Amino acid sequence: MSYLTDNQNNDYLLMGNEAIARGALEGGVNVASGYPGTPSSEIIEALSSVAKERNLYVEWSINEKVALEVAASASFAGLRTMCVMKQNGVNVASDFLLHLASSGTRGGMVLVACDDPGALSSVNEGESRPFARLVEIPLLEPGDFQEAKDITKWAFELSEEIRNIVMIRSVTRMSHASGNVRYERLPDTNAKADFRFDGPLSDPETGPVISMVVGISELQHVPQQEKIKKAAEIFEDCPFNTYEGPEKPELLIITSSACTLYSREAISLLNVKDRVGILKLATTWPLPPRLIKKYLSVTDRILVVEEVLPILEENIKILAAEMAHEIGPKTFYGKNAGNIPSVGELNPDIVVSALSTILDVRVESVSESFVKEAAALIETGIPVRGLTMCPGCPHRASLWSIHNALEMDGRKGFVCGDIGCYVAGLWPGGFNTVKTLHSMGSGSGIAGGFGKLRQFGMDQPVLSICGDSTFFHAAMPALANAIHHKSPFTMIILDNRGAAMTGFQPHPGTPVNAMGEAVPSLDIAEICRAMGATVEIRNPFDIEETQQTLHHLIEHQEGTKVLILSQACALSPERKDNPKYRMKVDEEICIGGNCGCNRLCTRIFGCPGLLWDEEKGVSKINDIMCTGCGVCADICPAGAIKREEVAEYVG
Amino acid sequence: MNISGPNELLENVINRNLCTGCGACVDLCPYFKSYRGKTTMLFPCTLPQGRCFAYCPRLEVDLDYLSGKYFEKPYNSDPLGFYKSIVTSRASEKFTGNSFQAGGTVSAIMYFALERGYIDGAVLTGQEGILPTPRIVMNPEDVLSCGSSKYTAAPTLSAVNRAIEEGLNRIGIVSTPCQALSTAMLRANPLEEKDFTDPVGLVVGIFCTWALDFRAFEPFIASRVDINTITKTDIPPPPAEVMEVYTSDGSKLQIPLEEIRNLVPDACSYCMDMTSEFSDISVGVLEGDPGRNTLIIRTERGKMIVDEAVREGYLIVDDMPEINLEHLKWAAGNKKKKALLKAHKEGMVNNPGKDKISYIRLNNETLEEIIA
Repeated sequence: MSYLTDNQNNDYLLMGNEAIARGALEGGVNVASGYPGTPSSEIIEALSSVAKERNLYVEWSINEKVALEVAASASFAGLRTMCVMKQNGVNVASDFLLHLASSGTRGGMVLVACDDPGALSSVNEGESRPFARLVEIPLLEPGDFQEAKDITKWAFELSEEIRNIVMIRSVTRMSHASGNVRYERLPDTNAKADFRFDGPLSDPETGPVISMVVGISELQHVPQQEKIKKAAEIFEDCPFNTYEGPEKPELLIITSSACTLYSREAISLLNVKDRVGILKLATTWPLPPRLIKKYLSVTDRILVVEEVLPILEENIKILAAEMAHEIGPKTFYGKNAGNIPSVGELNPDIVVSALSTILDVRVESVSESFVKEAAALIETGIPVRGLTMCPGCPHRASLWSIHNALEMDGRKGFVCGDIGCYVAGLWPGGFNTVKTLHSMGSGSGIAGGFGKLRQFGMDQPVLSICGDSTFFHAAMPALANAIHHKSPFTMIILDNRGAAMTGFQPHPGTPVNAMGEAVPSLDIAEICRAMGATVEIRNPFDIEETQQTLHHLIEHQEGTKVLILSQACALSPERKDNPKYRMKVDEEICIGGNCGCNRLCTRIFGCPGLLWDEEKGVSKINDIMCTGCGVCADICPAGAIKREEVAEYVG
Repeated sequence: MNISGPNELLENVINRNLCTGCGACVDLCPYFKSYRGKTTMLFPCTLPQGRCFAYCPRLEVDLDYLSGKYFEKPYNSDPLGFYKSIVTSRASEKFTGNSFQAGGTVSAIMYFALERGYIDGAVLTGQEGILPTPRIVMNPEDVLSCGSSKYTAAPTLSAVNRAIEEGLNRIGIVSTPCQALSTAMLRANPLEEKDFTDPVGLVVGIFCTWALDFRAFEPFIASRVDINTITKTDIPPPPAEVMEVYTSDGSKLQIPLEEIRNLVPDACSYCMDMTSEFSDISVGVLEGDPGRNTLIIRTERGKMIVDEAVREGYLIVDDMPEINLEHLKWAAGNKKKKALLKAHKEGMVNNPGKDKISYIRLNNETLEEIIA
């Protein structure tokens, strides 16, 4: 039995994402789906680990839109269902989300979106919160780990009460930090699916489930808005909206999510708990107007603490404007006034700084001498480390060959990048090969467009890269489009056999699903061929052959071509602790920093499995990091890096 | 000597389109590579001094120093450089049946030198399709398969770098003038390496007025003839003024040189050497006679090998007609003057100080004589 399924009222130290998963279990979830993406991935992983025990169906879907559709079907059949994704995933799912919010749901349905303020593990810090307002569904934001569980459980009930999907928004520090969570009992697991559709169109219980039909908005848009009004009414008494502080504070902080923790800490650090109150909101859309009015009435000065966009701030200001004749004029502090930064993650220091200015309190959270000392230490003691890929990563070998082939071609060819570990192709660690980077699958869509610009005199070679999971997620339509329109470019699929960046979640090309069951795996090469592309498959660790193939493809850019560079991720189960070669540097042969090499392996190739021995002036292998891929032996101009086959290697 | 590194080479030669693609910097290290006639730098190298710069025939070429080293005199204004004698020549009947350019002198001499061990390997230019590619040849018979002129630039010297790496130490090289110049620079051990020994056994220079940009020539020719059917290209000696392209169906396409000259890269316009002055012997066409070559013997070693080849019946030589010599001198002098004048005007000659890199350095007297 997993600690996630303990059926006693015990306390557990849980990661926020595990708390959300436990909340789903306590809420009686039957079906869960998602697409991997940091910081959301652990929720589906946690649920898949207890799928059999709790009679769940859990899947990693091909993309977020399909995941939401899969989860929705369960709701239509009366089951409780959850769909999980990162913030960028909500963009992908948003088309169906808008329609789903219109058709409404039956069994409790929860969308969990994990945002990444500061874009710690994302290409941007785009927000998911505006979607709640855009598609008119309730938005809940847990303020600690206990709430992460409790609010998730409650969200299913709320969804069934208003008959619509409910969105929960977490952030990196909520999803990935840990805290104590007290369990409640788990429900029975004997749900039965029953999709009813024989009733009239107007009956949300028994009729067909459809999105709004043109011209009959009273049938759906009006009821949808009734649902959101009902949610606001319920939120007036929501126990997760709390106030702490003096009866008439000098300053009221209104906040939500992880910012609650930062605000509490800041108040404590400044010792101003007699002057400042915190209204912590869990229901951030729609805002409960009477509750907001009650707290806006107790003070004239309000600071809104939130990350990224000033969504809470603006929504509160709208309410304040509407009730101005009752509550009087207010002074607002926050992002608009410049007290809180408009980008990036917040932390207690930022809130301390905002509070100390507003309240005119001087505080030295860290002594000045400490700051100086720490800065000096950072400068002297920490080696500069660029963003790069893991030791033995096949992407390094692939990008090396792509870079060299493009440079030798010399016609300013370039790579349209995509989402995956290969984003490192933007930086020196990936040889600065990637020149565009946007959303999942976009590299190939953009490359297909560039290919059609020959008409306007653009004759540079165009390549795109995407991973195997990204191929299934969103790049297939881009490829089909390019082939159909005869766009001359080469799509390079960096197939490392799993959604490696997020932790090896399966995708349609892998032979197992989220629950560990054997499933048919789809052959990427055959799919591309069926679409009409010519397909080549190479092992990127064979640098010579890969580069020759690339030369040929770059030279003859007629029609849309696919090159699959197939090699398992260095961290994959098949390669981890299973080195093919034992690597060694022959110090006698290594010419190190001299003319003829100038430290190519450590200065340019940059695999972390290679070290530069400053004293001896030669390279050496970092035996702890090296995964034994053997590629560095092929790039060494002197032939000093030797590989020896490992007898225990399992091929 | 003023020797810098790869960054200066990149800035002063490659980025300014002065690179002839000779291959001197290629395969010395992993940074400079040649692909389809173009030399590129794959990654930045940080060394302040490098062989790439030291061997580049477009950077700090000290003609007086090199002349002193090989001919024991400062550089002078003779259009043909230093030489002992000039004759006409052709391969003997031993080689009948082989496809050569003009008289086949180069093939005959390389064959002979390799067979007799004057050289331990020959660096030649072979062909893949119509792309000229460097080759290291150890067997005399293999010389014969490389025996035709290529009219696009080839990074032949990269094979010299490889041959040295492989331990050859009497390398025979068939080179264009820029390649002969670079070879002379390499042999002078400019970086004063302690364990340096001259790896070159013989330099056979060929006459060259220009080499075409392969990347311009390939589409040009492909628009006129199926590239895969080309068996041979030839530019017969003046006054023909055409390029002849032979195809496997037995037909011959004639392209006026006028059209071809547009495909000559600007880099060639800076070259002041038509006859490969820094070689042991130089070979070119003989005006008005497609069956013979012009042969310039410049060094003792060149003379010795030619004499031996004649004595052993590999090569047949004859006197050089005066009128041909005059025309040759006129053409070579013209090229020299035009190129040096251009380089001089553009501030690339005899720049004072270390900061401003020169292309050519030579004594002022000779400079004045040439550009007068």
